[in-house]
Amino acid sequence: MAKLQSHKCWDKRLRNRRGTAAAALLVAGVTLSGCASSPGSSPSSDSTPLKIGISLSLTGDFADPGKAAQRGYDLWATEVNKRGGVLGRQVELKIVDDTSSPDQVVTNYQNLITGDKVDLVFGPFSSLLTIPASRVAKRYGYAFIEPAGGGPKVFDQHLDNIFFVQPAPVVKGGDVFADYILSLPADQRPKTAAYPKLDDPFAAPIADNVKQRFEAAGIRTVYDETYAAETADMGPIVTKVAAAKPDVVVAGTQIEDSYAEVKAMIQQKFNPKWLFMSNGASSPADFPDKVGYANTAGIFSSGDWYPDSPIAGTKEFIAAYAAKYGGNGNAIDNTSAEAFASGTLVELVAAKTGKADNATIIQTLHSGTWPTLVGNLSWNADGAPNGSYLLVQWIDGRLRTVYPPDTAQHPPLTPKPQWAG
Amino acid sequence: MQLAAQAIILGVLTGGVYALMASGQTLIFGVMKVVNLAQGAFVVLSAYLTFSLFTGFGVDPFLAILITTPAMFGLGVAVHWLVLRPLKHEDVGQLSLLVTFAVALGVEGVLALAYETTYRSVQPGYENRSWTVAGLQISEVRLYAFGLSAVMLAALYLILERTRLGMAIRATVQNPTSARLLGVSSERVAALGFGLGAATAAAAGSVYGLLYPFNPGSHYDLISRLLTIVVLGGMGSVGGAVVAAMIMGVGSSIVAALASPIWSDFTFFVVLLAVLLIRPRGLFGARARGAL
Repeated sequence: MAKLQSHKCWDKRLRNRRGTAAAALLVAGVTLSGCASSPGSSPSSDSTPLKIGISLSLTGDFADPGKAAQRGYDLWATEVNKRGGVLGRQVELKIVDDTSSPDQVVTNYQNLITGDKVDLVFGPFSSLLTIPASRVAKRYGYAFIEPAGGGPKVFDQHLDNIFFVQPAPVVKGGDVFADYILSLPADQRPKTAAYPKLDDPFAAPIADNVKQRFEAAGIRTVYDETYAAETADMGPIVTKVAAAKPDVVVAGTQIEDSYAEVKAMIQQKFNPKWLFMSNGASSPADFPDKVGYANTAGIFSSGDWYPDSPIAGTKEFIAAYAAKYGGNGNAIDNTSAEAFASGTLVELVAAKTGKADNATIIQTLHSGTWPTLVGNLSWNADGAPNGSYLLVQWIDGRLRTVYPPDTAQHPPLTPKPQWAG
Repeated sequence: MQLAAQAIILGVLTGGVYALMASGQTLIFGVMKVVNLAQGAFVVLSAYLTFSLFTGFGVDPFLAILITTPAMFGLGVAVHWLVLRPLKHEDVGQLSLLVTFAVALGVEGVLALAYETTYRSVQPGYENRSWTVAGLQISEVRLYAFGLSAVMLAALYLILERTRLGMAIRATVQNPTSARLLGVSSERVAALGFGLGAATAAAAGSVYGLLYPFNPGSHYDLISRLLTIVVLGGMGSVGGAVVAAMIMGVGSSIVAALASPIWSDFTFFVVLLAVLLIRPRGLFGARARGAL
């Protein structure tokens, strides 16, 4: 939009030169004041809507998280418009369905940028779709603020327009657990560790990163195996883990295998002193429902947003969400919070610079730290966040932050309580 | 030793559940020479029905079978009547693959609309309990599931061996032309056979929902497993499906527990390949034509 605005101003200036001197002076004065407003003067100068184009998986494999992202984006637009919009411009979202297809997502962003001529774009769901979409955005000079593409390949593209709206790259999801364990006095640390890992780019590397740090600190590995995504039965895997008698289990899980692994542990009465699960266990909406509330006690995971998050703005977000969609905090998917935070970043840049164009957003977000609903965010040159996730633990049926200490709501609960059955 | 014993227990109990699912699949092939790619989707559909009956009306998953079995039998007969019966006889083998796959996709789509794609599981409160016997853990629900599979398979055996319908089905399997000459309506038998195959999915689905989290896309993994079990056992042989399911259950479990889980499924395919090289019709395929 910055480019389009400046072109419009340039055209007006050219036309003004062709008029009479007096008219030129008069019109030029008005026009220039209008043009000058966009780089940093009164917000009321441009009353056209700020159009933001987004492609989301509203159908297909990613339909559920895609719709969660849609709710987050829509909620942000509603809230910011109540406050008068961005620099006085009402936000208008254009959301189109990519059917969870990496091909369709390219077509969608191409159409949004060149056909609908949206001012800004926000990201789709998943790294699979974010990678091709971010290239389209880069080609047209658009900033690519995206809440759900945190895989290594997103950042390996070395694109300066990407900003992943979570506190850390996904593969660093377990680092905060390693920080916590290694902060314990040596005699209180686990001596042995097991790493059952799903063969998935967002699961196994998380456990591998923890393993590297644990082994460097002298925590002996007694089990380290990868299982295929098709593995329906976690029973035999848990049998072998249990036989190795590890003090700590660092499970590189996704969603359904985390449920199956917990159930297999309960059935085999295997209860390690520490149990960290990379994914699945961080969902207040689904995890207790699948394994039973009482069985969640003491399980660690990591996350950026959950209903009891200590981060400022959480209560207001939940209230606004409940008012718009009904339900309570537990029903909110963290993807909604991440999508909401994407919009917040635009507001923050606009408030700081008085502009909301792509070049300004890209340049501005590359410096400083930006407080959002999902933490204080800053990025490296490739769009990978520099921070870390919060270490959360299920305590009394709720997720609580237990590390790092400055944001902790509760001391870590160790050793893990027995399974309720 | 303890590890191997635990793995065998887990494998036998899991194999029993797969035997039930695969028995319907192989029955349908035996009667109609139709490879039913919708069997996995029928199992998932039954799991959802069980889920709804449990969450909506508090019906225990094992009792729900009394409702889901006739429902799935009706659905099976309806699917046969609507989409398989119109196929020309000579093309039925090939076309049925496409048609039943379309049915599977249709079921998946309807389930995704009705229940969304979130994982569900049935939690009656006893799903995680287990007995400790000589230091080994025996999951209650898996043992019930195994028992249910045994009962359902026995019922299937009795239907096939002791009823007029079973006699008609066996006659159709052995020699469709002679059966027709003796007054057996092959279309009616095929419809009822397909219904019976779908009905086995009902019980299997209830158990599946208790044991594993599922979503509408779960049928893809299921059908690939069921097909390999049926091929290993010999297409059309119910007994072969039971033996093959046990080989898969115990083999996968032992490999996962004693070696590495990444090889557990692969090992099964190695066994499958080896058996097919020696016996191209599967373990019981050669005599299964007349031995339902």
